[in-house]
Amino acid sequence: MPLDTASTYGQTLLRTDGRRWNELRRISASISTQPSTDGSSQFVMGNTVVVCNIVGPREGRGQRDTNNALIETEVTVAPFAQTDRRRRTKGDKRVQELQTTISSAFQAHLFTHLYPRSSITISLHVLSLDGALLASCLNAASLALVDAGVPMPSILAAVTSGVITSTDGITPSDPILDLNNSEELELPFLSVGTVSGLSEHQEDKVSVLIMESRIQIGQNGKKLEAMLAVGVDGCKQVRTIMGEVVRTHGTRILRGRK
Amino acid sequence: MPREAELSNIERTFILEALAQNIRLDGRARDDFRNLDVSFGDDYGACAVQLGKTKVNTRISAEVTKPFEERKFDGIFTITTELSPLASPAFETGRQTEQEVIVSRILEKAIRRSNAIDTESLCIIAGAKCWSIRADVHVLDYDGGLVDASCISIIAALQHFRRPDVSIDGENVTIYSLAEREPVPLSLMHHPICITFSFYHGGETVLLDATLHEEQARDGEMIVTMNRHGELCQIAKLGGVSVDALILLGCMNMTVTKVKDITELISTKLREDATHRDVGGLIAELSAQNDR
Repeated sequence: MPLDTASTYGQTLLRTDGRRWNELRRISASISTQPSTDGSSQFVMGNTVVVCNIVGPREGRGQRDTNNALIETEVTVAPFAQTDRRRRTKGDKRVQELQTTISSAFQAHLFTHLYPRSSITISLHVLSLDGALLASCLNAASLALVDAGVPMPSILAAVTSGVITSTDGITPSDPILDLNNSEELELPFLSVGTVSGLSEHQEDKVSVLIMESRIQIGQNGKKLEAMLAVGVDGCKQVRTIMGEVVRTHGTRILRGRK
Repeated sequence: MPREAELSNIERTFILEALAQNIRLDGRARDDFRNLDVSFGDDYGACAVQLGKTKVNTRISAEVTKPFEERKFDGIFTITTELSPLASPAFETGRQTEQEVIVSRILEKAIRRSNAIDTESLCIIAGAKCWSIRADVHVLDYDGGLVDASCISIIAALQHFRRPDVSIDGENVTIYSLAEREPVPLSLMHHPICITFSFYHGGETVLLDATLHEEQARDGEMIVTMNRHGELCQIAKLGGVSVDALILLGCMNMTVTKVKDITELISTKLREDATHRDVGGLIAELSAQNDR
């Protein structure tokens, strides 16, 4: 029996973990998990677990931008996060790229002009990793920033989307949503992060878009278009779930106040 | 720590307002590249690229080493980028800045991870000897478009480079000097080219090949790598302003034509260099390589 999505999908239209093409893994999240910090969250997406703590907005030390708050990010991937135990060093370029991406995405998204000369530090700890590293980090950071009370126009949500290329030419090349680790290894995939448009009827806008694998974009970029569409749609679903988490937390606090 | 002089508010407003009227400071259209010049040195694998005022020099070198333990059948290919104070007073030697990390990471993903070089062809004796190909990128002058220029220069230099021929007799490896045998070109699977898009006015305006001033005034960027067959090798929109998905797809389509133009330019320059070298018309006879 084949154990990879690329070969099973054509026959069953199901992926190895039993999901259909447009199904997310189970997402559970909670905010205010760490009372000692200004904002915190825990984000679980399938077997990926990310914990986020926010410190700030606080006075920035040696900060040169006098008009905006500066966002700094630290990402640590625990040595026990994946099946093979390995320690990632601080200087790992992959992690540094991840940090830059998260900082720059939130720098442009948050209302940083409300906190001049200050800094906001996002620290992310990946406890368990089963694909969607960047997406889960962005989601966890979004929730924690909501908890920290940093004003933002909408929740930044992220997912991964990939594409299954048919080998026989009969079954269609299907885009798939939210890949796990083994699917990420075998299929080309995109990491997409979006924010909602300014008004109700405006489309969501793409803030982060990263692809590291080589693919044929197909006729007029059809394949890429499909992947991106599925990704943007998936972000919408994730955003709804995240909004629900924030609302539940808010209701609970309000009830406690009475 | 030296830093790039920041754009003054008046300069920034000037650039942005001119762009809103569809005017760039140097009079180019939004989707125009600056003047691109590719030239080759006397040695194989030395390439200088000039993109407007940005100058990048790349040198390829090869040596025989032991392959990595876990990849016995593969040769080694490394890209090193160094932003020295020669290029701009804002650069410093020693400590890697964030920009340097991102540049080298993108080049790595675009060229190395997309398997532009067939590393298996660099193997001489499995597990014992292989070629280690090294691309050293030197930025000589910096006026924006660093990734684009570096990528072009690496790809051109790799196509230009010839490694010494080897023959294997059991365990003995003979490396022939350039005088003894005609050196062999590297086997490249495809030629990826990076194109940087800059976004202004909340993602409404898209510019190609921004100069340093335009880069400083932008809200976000996206680097797309493609080859002339229309294969995407890498996309990197690392945060920045959020942009409509349709505009992004438009950028990808624009990349296809730009990449074809640049690849065409590189191959024209390579042909010119080849005829220039081929003094007595002897190279074709000396070479043992077959055309694919």
